[in-house]
Order: sequence, then structure tokens, then C-alpha cells
Amino acid sequence: MSYEGVIEQSIAGLKELLKSGEEIIGYIYPHVPLELFMAHGFTPSLVRALPGVASGFEESLQTFACSYIRNLYSQRANGQFLTLAGLLFPGNTCDSLQNLGDIWSVRFHDDRVLRLTYPVIRYNQDDSATKFLAEEIRLLSEKLSKLYNRPFLAENYDAAVDFVQEFHNGTQFLYSARVIQPEIISYSEVVRLVRTFLTIPTASSMSEIKETVSMVQNKADELGLSDSIETVQKAILSGDYTKVKLPDDLVSPRIVIAGGMVEPQAIASLMNEIPNFSESFIVLDLLSFGFKTVFTKSPTKSDDPFIAMAKSVLSAPGEPTHEGLSYRMNAMKDLLENLSIQGLIVCEQSFCDPDQFEAPSIEKAACELDVRTIRLPLDPELSDRGRIETRIQSFLETLE
Amino acid sequence: MNQERASEEKPYRRLETQALLQQIALRHGLEAMEASENGHLAWVTSGFPVEIPIALDMGVVYPEQAGAIVGAQKIGPEVCGYAENLGYSQDLCSYARASIGSTEKPDEVPIGSLPTPQLLLACNNICGTVLRWYDAISEMTGAPVFLLDTPPIDKVQLPHNQAYVRRGVERLIEFIESHFNRSLEDGRIREVAELSSRATKLWIRALEACKNKPSPLNCADRFLTMAPVVSSRGTEHCVEFYESFVAEVEERVKNGIGAIRDERVRLLWDNIPPWHTLRFFNILASRGVVFPADTYTHAWTGNMVGTDTLSIIDEVVETYSKVYLNMGLDAKVDKMCQLIKDYDLDGFVMFSVRSCKRYSLGQLVSKELVTERTGVPGVIIEGDMVDSRVYNEAQIETRVDALLEMLM
Repeated sequence: MSYEGVIEQSIAGLKELLKSGEEIIGYIYPHVPLELFMAHGFTPSLVRALPGVASGFEESLQTFACSYIRNLYSQRANGQFLTLAGLLFPGNTCDSLQNLGDIWSVRFHDDRVLRLTYPVIRYNQDDSATKFLAEEIRLLSEKLSKLYNRPFLAENYDAAVDFVQEFHNGTQFLYSARVIQPEIISYSEVVRLVRTFLTIPTASSMSEIKETVSMVQNKADELGLSDSIETVQKAILSGDYTKVKLPDDLVSPRIVIAGGMVEPQAIASLMNEIPNFSESFIVLDLLSFGFKTVFTKSPTKSDDPFIAMAKSVLSAPGEPTHEGLSYRMNAMKDLLENLSIQGLIVCEQSFCDPDQFEAPSIEKAACELDVRTIRLPLDPELSDRGRIETRIQSFLETLE
Repeated sequence: MNQERASEEKPYRRLETQALLQQIALRHGLEAMEASENGHLAWVTSGFPVEIPIALDMGVVYPEQAGAIVGAQKIGPEVCGYAENLGYSQDLCSYARASIGSTEKPDEVPIGSLPTPQLLLACNNICGTVLRWYDAISEMTGAPVFLLDTPPIDKVQLPHNQAYVRRGVERLIEFIESHFNRSLEDGRIREVAELSSRATKLWIRALEACKNKPSPLNCADRFLTMAPVVSSRGTEHCVEFYESFVAEVEERVKNGIGAIRDERVRLLWDNIPPWHTLRFFNILASRGVVFPADTYTHAWTGNMVGTDTLSIIDEVVETYSKVYLNMGLDAKVDKMCQLIKDYDLDGFVMFSVRSCKRYSLGQLVSKELVTERTGVPGVIIEGDMVDSRVYNEAQIETRVDALLEMLM
């Protein structure tokens, strides 16, 4: 299915949900406690930048605002947003999203703007960051109860933990399977499933994931790859790759896509447009809406729910929005080295501080391993699509 | 705008105490070099609770101030270019690019490059960029980064936010103590906090003197004289400087002497100044325009008092969490409206700084809100604080002219 087709499908799914009376809370930053919204009886839906959005931001945002927030604002200003019960903005992740939340409250004062503020620290060796985020989540929960008269229900929470856990397990398996054999399922299909679930986390999107997992599992069993896949999944989660053994007949080149809030589906669509190259060269992405969401650990039921959700959110693999550049670079180097990667495509959202600051370090780290890199400045509209495709094609040719 | 006039007929008055600034800058530079050679120099962001490293006898320098110097020397494009050659985008903060560029090629930036740090202390109360910038410097120099995380607050600081920042300050003390084998003495932190508080109070007195008509200080005066309160608060010589400075300012007030010779229009300035074109203010002075208040220099008005280490830590938590840029849009609008009222201002100029997203995104909205609440007009001009490549003087002139037409 094309990128545009996937978007249409997601929007149609959302409309259907709304029609059926579901109340939807949109969120922008991918690392949110989905279980919280489900515990309050809401459907959380990841709101993303879209291609083909005409301008509309100019009344409130300067041209140097990050292209992602310009796109989101334009969607809302142009009436392209569906009716949401509320929209959750992240605090303390990046300056653009921080300020966008404030601007949104003024410009669209009928919208219910919610905020979840994150700790930036990660490696402080005490539990202050977890406690801070847990309290933020608890306050958000109180706000949801008060604003909408929908209390936090423990049974809903327990069911949500199981449900989201299934999503993580299933998609982690699919990601890991592709590391062992990228042809086993297309990258586009995996990221379509992830996207669909994050947009409409319903039983039907989950059952599609389960069916796909079962199909890939069968193929992997036939090929004798199941154990290797499991080992990769564990290695990525733990950061310990010592037990990983890749097949001897890997197809080259093996590419990883790095970056932040860039749409994985857009990358797959770009790769598919390149003549004589297949998206099966993409072994893995490290993007916020892909890998970094998929490989987040689920909350444990033994903990207090708010502490458990905070721990889960903070377990998301390294985002450039928080501290730990050297940890992230070391983790990435381990991954590139142990998963036999030859090329790295580094995507940078235009005017995105976290992406643009991280890119030179990523390039340097990859260079130390002799992994070739290319940096791609992108905006959600893929406004320079022809040139981007040519650059990717030239890059891939250098890896042959 | 007309060109600046020859010196004998300059429309603005030079401060006598400006000469002292050079002495302070020289002293500060020498102390920093010595600290670096002795292995205890910290680079510190401007919103960092510097009282803590100073009380622990660390040397401190401010890369933002070094960026301002690079800008003022008009070598911003060249120095930022060194960072761009390393792969840092031109869209990124020009203070950061100037800092990365001058760290890469210190010999090319004799004034504006800083001695090698042994520690990088960042506080994200001014923006999220500082962490990423210091991470980049850490990669280049090997100095560790300590982040004091101060999550933005909306109106009031909630108890969990306070507890989290407090723990951060405690970790900061532990971090410096363990890395540099020293310990924080109660008497020393009290002394530093007291000196910091005295300097800040003097600074506030100078700022508030600008409520008078004519205003004894213009924007450029404050941008230059803020250097010690940014870079040396917590030291004796900082207090001494501001005692002289305030004496001169109050003498001007007493004698009815303004910062400019013919004050006709009083405006508010919002954001960091264009360091490469500080003459912007002098050229406007020739048209009778003075800026008695601005949101930038009013950011260093947090006042610390405390009787022991614990109470001083509490003050640090509150003071450094509630800085202007760490509050929401409403608080910023409130502050601007208050300044317009208190300083009896006729309008405002918002400098939309391309590389400072925390300060600048939201200005299009706050401009409308400030005008709505105060009834005074404002204008937004766009450019950058260090990188003059994105400063279009003709366009800025047209916009400011339009504002002045409404006011004169």
C-alpha cells in the first residue's frame, strides 16, 4: 500500500471510531503512557505531520520553526484535524514543541490542550526522574478525571497493560525478524502495522499485527530462524549482543535509518521509488515512530501504576531530546557493529534542534566503524523529493 | 535609518563605568586561564546556579558571553562557519555554533575562544539547546556534562517539580565534590550567595532607575554592563563594579541626564540583541528613541538569600526554576505588559532571533496579546544575535520606521 493509501486508511479508521462514539485523545510526542488513556476509557491516537499540507502556520509561527510543528499547526489551522477530545503536548522535550503547546492554547482556545512534562535526565542513578514523571502522569490522570468525568479504572488499566504489551511483543518480533532476514516481511508492511496501531489502537489493528506475527513466525520456523530472531529481540532490549548470530548468507547492503520524529512510512515510500533498489536493504530504523516506540518496555503490573507507566516511558531507547549523547552513540555503535550494517541514512527534520545537533555525532560514530552515512534534511511534505531520491540512490550505489 | 553621527555629536552618552568593564573582563579571562591550567574550569550556561561551582572554588566562564563577543567583533559568520564545516546546521543556535567553531579553531578566534574546560555545567531553564550544545563540546574536549534539569513551569512551581530540581542541585554538589575532590562549606556558600545577592540587588536598582524620564540607560548600555552579573556574580569584584555603576546611574537620574540626548519615544526590547549591530540602538537614539527596559537583561534579577546550605539550596531551586524563559507564554506576556506599565513605554520591538527558538517562537502571538492588553503598538524584526548573515538591515529599518510613524 502506498504512503498516501496508509494515511487515508488511518484517517478512515479514526473517523469510524469517532462515529461509533469513541472519545479520542491525540498526542504528538510518541513516548506517552497509552495505558493511562485507556484506563480512563479514551482511545489515544498519535497525531502526525502529513505530506501535502498547505501553509497555514504563518499567523503564529515563524519560518524557522521546526517543519514538524509548522505542519501540525497548518493542519489544525486548515481544518484538517478531526474532532479530538483533547490534545497532549510534551513539555521539556524540545523548545519548538514546548512553545507550540502555549501557542495552540491561545489560537485554538476551544481545544483541550493537555501537557505531560518529561524529565530530561536519564543516568542519575537515583529514582528522581521516575518519581517526577510518575507524578506528572498522576496529575494528568487527575485532570482527565475532572475534565471529562472519566475516572481511572484499575480493570481498564490492567487490560490496557496486556493489550499494549501485545503490541510491543508483536512488533518487536517483526523488527527482529527483519534484522535476521529482511525479505521475510517488507519494511513498509511492518511500519504500516505500527502506524495503524498507534493511530487507532483497537482490537482490529491488534489482530492484524497478530496475524502477521503468526505468518512470519511460521516462515521463520520453516527456515529455522526463530531462535536467532528471539536472540536479536533480547539483544536489542538488553543492549547485550554477545549471543547474536546472524546467518552467513546475509544480503548486502544492509542499511539502518536513523533520526527522530520522521515518518518511517515516508522513508519506505522514498526507497521504493528508487529504481533497481529494494526496501529490503533497510534492516532496521532507529526512528521515534518506529524502533524507539516499538522497543519501549511495557509497565509491570507489580508496581504502582503511575510509577510503572513512568518507568515504561523512560525505557524508550535514546531520544536526542534527553541527556546521554555518549550512551546513545555507544548503543548505536554496538547495534551497527553486531548487526552487520554497512550503511546509515541519517534523517534530519528541517529546523529540528535535537535532530540537527545529533546528526554530526551519529556521522562520526558510524565513521569510526567504517559504516558509510548520508544525511538527509527532510520536511514532512517531502518538498524536495526528487533530489532526496537521487541522493539516496547515489548513496546506495556507493555501497554495492 | 540615518547613519550614526560623528563622535562629538553622538546622540547617546557613554557611561564612565564602561572602562571598568574591560578590567573585569581581563581579570575574568586570566582567572579562567589559570583555572583551566589547574584543572578546574567549568563552562556554565547563563541560567546556571553559578553560586554552587564558585563556592566549590571552581573557575567559571560563560560560552554565551563568548558568543556575544564573537558577534560584537563581527566574526560570527566565520566562526559559526567552522562549526558548520563539522556538520552543524546553520539553523542551529549561533551561540552554540560560535562556541563549537571557536573550540575547533581556537587560534583563529583569539578573543572569543575559551580556555579548555574540565567540566560542562548546563541548566535547561533558558532552553533545551544548551544540553545538546554542551554534549557536542564534551565530544570535542572530553569534559563531562552535568545537566541541571529544570522542567518548565506554568505559573507556579508544583511540589514534585521543586523536589526534582532540589535533588538535581544536591546531585550537582555531589558531582563536583566527587570529581574534583572538594567539599561545600556552609560558610563559603553563604558568603557567595550573599555576594551574588548584593550584585543582583544593585543590578535591579540600575534597571529600575530606568523608570525615570529621561532613562539613564539605553538597551546597549545594559547589554554591555550586564556582563559581570552574568559572569561574575558571587564575587567581590562584581559587587564593586555594580556599586560604581549604580552610583553613576543614580547621579544621572539626580541630574536629569538621559542615556540619549533627546528622549522622545520609550520602547521595550524583547529578546537577545543583535551583538553584531548594537549600533541599531544608537542609530535609533539619534531619532529620540530609547529603550528603558528589555526582557533580556531583566532575566538576571533572581535574588538569593539564605542562612545556611539547605536554605540556600531552596533559594537556588526557586530562583533558577522561575527564570523568564522557563515560564509559559502567559508569564512572558505578563512580564512584558508589566514592564510597559512600570517603565511607561510607548511601544515595543520584538527581535525574532532565528537561532533561538525558546525565546522567539510565540512572539507572533504574544505581540498581539501585549498590544491588546496595553494598547501600545509593537513590531517584530527578524535576524540573529551572532550570525549577521541572516540580519537584513534594510528590512528591519522599514519595519521599525513603520512603528515610529505611529508613535512620532
